[in-house]
Amino acid sequence: MPELKVNGLRTNYQVLSGAGEPTESVVFIHGMGTDSLASFYLTLAPPVAAAGIDVISYDLRGHGKSERPVSGYALADFVADLHELIVALVGDRRVHLVGNSFGGTIAYAFAARFPERVRSVVSIESEPPTEIWATKMRFTLAATLEMLSVEENYDWIEANFGAHHRRLARLAAKRFTDTTMADEVPTGALMSIEDVSAIEVPVLSILGRYGYQSDDLDALTSLMPRGELYVFDDQGHSVLVEQHRAVRGLLVDWVRRHGTPVTDG
Amino acid sequence: MIDTSTVFDDVVELICGLVGDDLDILGVEVRRDTAFHEDLGLESIDLVTLGGLLAERFGPRVNLAAHLAEYDLDDVIGLTVGEIAEYVADRLREED
Repeated sequence: MPELKVNGLRTNYQVLSGAGEPTESVVFIHGMGTDSLASFYLTLAPPVAAAGIDVISYDLRGHGKSERPVSGYALADFVADLHELIVALVGDRRVHLVGNSFGGTIAYAFAARFPERVRSVVSIESEPPTEIWATKMRFTLAATLEMLSVEENYDWIEANFGAHHRRLARLAAKRFTDTTMADEVPTGALMSIEDVSAIEVPVLSILGRYGYQSDDLDALTSLMPRGELYVFDDQGHSVLVEQHRAVRGLLVDWVRRHGTPVTDG
Repeated sequence: MIDTSTVFDDVVELICGLVGDDLDILGVEVRRDTAFHEDLGLESIDLVTLGGLLAERFGPRVNLAAHLAEYDLDDVIGLTVGEIAEYVADRLREED
């Protein structure tokens, strides 16, 4: 697979060029832990490219086939990587950022830091990196690490989800214990409520009614001047995996609605 | 005319290259019903790599990612070597 050096780290990526003459580029940003570019590449990437949109997927630092340093996992590091990747692969054009879970949080932080590079943000089961997010992340990561430290829990995972998920859990445990990821990620840089309100690019937040934001689905999207919300009923956090056909339709329609304005002459 | 056993052998060769030395450790013989994830210990990201290798070997008409985009997660997790080989043979047959 192609790779390039991003902020000094070997970074694995994939580009699918849209059919015809694409005018829009989408960058897919996956989630944390055992996730990789595969979750987008094997679901949304081919049909979105077939709709005439350029698609870039990449493995975050410490994930998939990208380099895994021991430290350097603050949210700001992921944002800096994304910026360098976009400059290298897309140049000056604005891009649509599509992030799943933690990937969506990176997209929000990027849109706040580099608004001139962003056409729109589509977040799937994600929220901006506020203090509320950081608290939730610290709690979730601590609970996950504790769960993965108990040997019997791997038997339970295999009994309920199969050997594949047992192996994924082992991988997650190794990634969290080999690196400072779990400690560093929630350190931000965090955004204030005012920072969230200042995100002026169009934002589509796609949520599961019983996902990570089930306590208040519209709380953050309503703050953003051009925020829109789409909720899947009877759906938990795994929106991308379980609803990928529906998300594909939402995304292609969204990019067409928010593409580069066509000007005469 | 497509020789499906040759296609299967080619796919097995590419998958063995992907698993590398672990194949000896796993002690697995790669057959049609060998599962990509469960038996070979490969992950979804390895399917992306395999997709690139298949396109390199058989040409861009073989687009594994586009094929799998129509699958559900459980189908992807349960994917076997035989199913991958069948998909490749089907694509080559369609182009004949």
